[in-house]
Amino acid sequence: MNPKAQRSIVIFSIILVFTITTFLVLDALKDNIVFFYSPTETLEKFKYQENQNKIRIGGLVVKNSLYQNNSIVKFAVTDQKNKINVIYDGILPDLFREGQGVVIEGYFKKDLLEATEILAKHDENYMPKEVADILKKEGNWKGN
Amino acid sequence: MIYEFGHLLLIFALFFSFCAFFPFGLNIVNFCEKNLLIIRKISNLNFLFVLTSFLILEYGFINSEFSLNLIANNSHTTKPMIYKVSGLWGNHEGSLLLWILILTLFTFLFSINKNIPKNNFFSNILGIQNIIIFFFLLFILFLSNPFQRSSNPPLEGLGLNPLLQDPGLAFHPPLLYVGYVGLSLSFSFAVASLITKNLNQNWVIYLRPWTLFSWCFLSLGIALGSWWAYYELGWGGWWFWDPVENASLMPWLIATALIHSINVAEKKQNFMNWTILLAILGFSFSLLGTFIVRSGLLTSVHAFASDPYRGIFILIILGLSTGIPLLIYSFRNTQKNVKYFLFSRETALLLNNLFLVIATITILIGTLYPLVLELINNSKISIGPTYYNRTFAPILIPFILLMAIAPFLSWGKSGIKILLNKLLIFSGLTLIGIIIFYFLKPSSIFAIICGSLSISLFISVSLECFNKLNSNKRNLSITKRLKSLPKNFFGMIFAHLGVAVFLAGVTGEQFFKEEIEKKINLNDKFKLGKYEILFSKINDVNGPNFLSKSAEFNVYSKGKFIKTIISEKRFYPVERNQTTEAGILNSFLGDIYIVFGKGNLNTGWTVRAYLNPLVSWIWYGVALMALGGFISIIQIIRKKKIEN
Repeated sequence: MNPKAQRSIVIFSIILVFTITTFLVLDALKDNIVFFYSPTETLEKFKYQENQNKIRIGGLVVKNSLYQNNSIVKFAVTDQKNKINVIYDGILPDLFREGQGVVIEGYFKKDLLEATEILAKHDENYMPKEVADILKKEGNWKGN
Repeated sequence: MIYEFGHLLLIFALFFSFCAFFPFGLNIVNFCEKNLLIIRKISNLNFLFVLTSFLILEYGFINSEFSLNLIANNSHTTKPMIYKVSGLWGNHEGSLLLWILILTLFTFLFSINKNIPKNNFFSNILGIQNIIIFFFLLFILFLSNPFQRSSNPPLEGLGLNPLLQDPGLAFHPPLLYVGYVGLSLSFSFAVASLITKNLNQNWVIYLRPWTLFSWCFLSLGIALGSWWAYYELGWGGWWFWDPVENASLMPWLIATALIHSINVAEKKQNFMNWTILLAILGFSFSLLGTFIVRSGLLTSVHAFASDPYRGIFILIILGLSTGIPLLIYSFRNTQKNVKYFLFSRETALLLNNLFLVIATITILIGTLYPLVLELINNSKISIGPTYYNRTFAPILIPFILLMAIAPFLSWGKSGIKILLNKLLIFSGLTLIGIIIFYFLKPSSIFAIICGSLSISLFISVSLECFNKLNSNKRNLSITKRLKSLPKNFFGMIFAHLGVAVFLAGVTGEQFFKEEIEKKINLNDKFKLGKYEILFSKINDVNGPNFLSKSAEFNVYSKGKFIKTIISEKRFYPVERNQTTEAGILNSFLGDIYIVFGKGNLNTGWTVRAYLNPLVSWIWYGVALMALGGFISIIQIIRKKKIEN
């Protein structure tokens, strides 16, 4: 093979790899984005609708709403305007507490969020940024 | 008073690094030894200043000097000594001071280096280092001053996030920072090569050990962080595709590409432009990493600061340090046309670079896409591990295969016949390996792929060792044959072996893992793989600065007692925070990992247990890679000594 042909093979394979990657990225982005909503937004958007996609909801855990039976956990999450009931099967994170900020990932069915993951990674003085934004939006932010 | 002195030293350092601009500028126009001497003196002096200032702050942390805001917010008198010391870099301001300390240390080490000729190129590198130092000092003094006094000092500090009170995390940031900051030297090399006239093409030889050095530390830092996440977060995983983890992985991937492209540049005077570009990008990604972690734009355990000015400042540094060099870069062409063959080591390394850069881009998209989308239409999204499994992982498949085959190719033109011969043996052995692997009953096609890649790499490495020792001068003794091998051979072998070990660990952890989660009471038993586990005891324990509920689990295998695993839930009263200390029974072939949740004697406790086969191999693998890097550095230094 002459050098030119060899060079074009390399260039061609580079373009090929780029094309494949672009396809992979676009395809993965299409399916794997999880949108983040407040309880109010969730109810506006999805109440009594079929929704197949995973979503994240952020807010405060409603006081005295926690109910545990074996590993099944039920509680409600609120943005001080609307609340959504959550059901979860698993160990709650260390920082999960009533009245504290929480982010829940899962599937919203009818009026219940079936959680697949509960994220409460932050310390008590610190609010997850998303939750703080939601509370600010609803005018219920009491902090700096 | 002493703290004001520490503050003053930083201001001095800022002033001096600014002064270095003038001799640097003069040297670009017309090189003069005297100017260079001034820059070197400034570099050495600045290291001394920053080091002293750092030690003064450390003294404050050790003595719990709460009149400094930083210490009051991040320390506490009851904290064990090691966390008082490491508390310095467990926060934004302190970690930045550590960043600058390491930056000046590297500059100092470079300035006193005897091997590199003291010419205009050397002067340019030091000059650029001083510009970087200047900007970071500006940043720390005006936007994140660690020496800020409070008007009414508290009697007691707020304490350190309990998750960070761990030996693993005491050493994770310094290692990582050495890696990040070390890449600044590669960056300065590249930029200096762009502005230096009459540049000798051999400059890449000097770049190599420095890049290797930071790459090794970056590897160790990332591995330590991942290990910490594994045993401390209590989620059983070791990599979460968290933006902050991505931020450290991206410069690592670019640095890996850089090491390989330097190889070609050094041997073949090829890839010169590309090497320069990678060196610039490597440091850009380091800065981006700092930006992501420090800006508070992305929520994460690691995000300490949420002051938008800091983010903007780092963004400006990032923009300048990437933009200006790339601008010069686009006007320069240092490349000579070199003869090029398709079946050669060069092609393999070119593709290696291609894959690494593309892998970096996919991570970059996944990390920044949520940010960009929020800026555009204010919708909040998150991108989970599935994204990376479907983009990053497929790219790794051809990459690892290439890595297995590449050592069989020679520089320049490869003899097709010899190559085919080697490939035939390689494929045969790999096939046998895969068949044996198949009897372990891999659970899915992905398990087979991942396992096969690891096997092919193991075989490639052993074949390569065998070939090199066998073919080279058959009549010599083993030790002489070992000595006649190329100088970076062992480094490469260890690093590639590390990747194979790492992949074996990933295969075990991802595809052969067993997991159980159930509610159990005292003296209940449950089964995990071939083990039986008995929940035998629960105690209250008082630690130095925490209260803990500790659960004991006895592990039995075939009725025989093996060991007791202690799993804890700690409560830190000062920080009013709880942490999970997973109980881990570590062995070479796998871990038993137990976490317990909430509960009491009446209802029992929720317990989650994992059997993670080969999980430690993930970190052994990275350690081997770093070892490979260190071996290469030692051999470069030894070779230089022989030459002198």
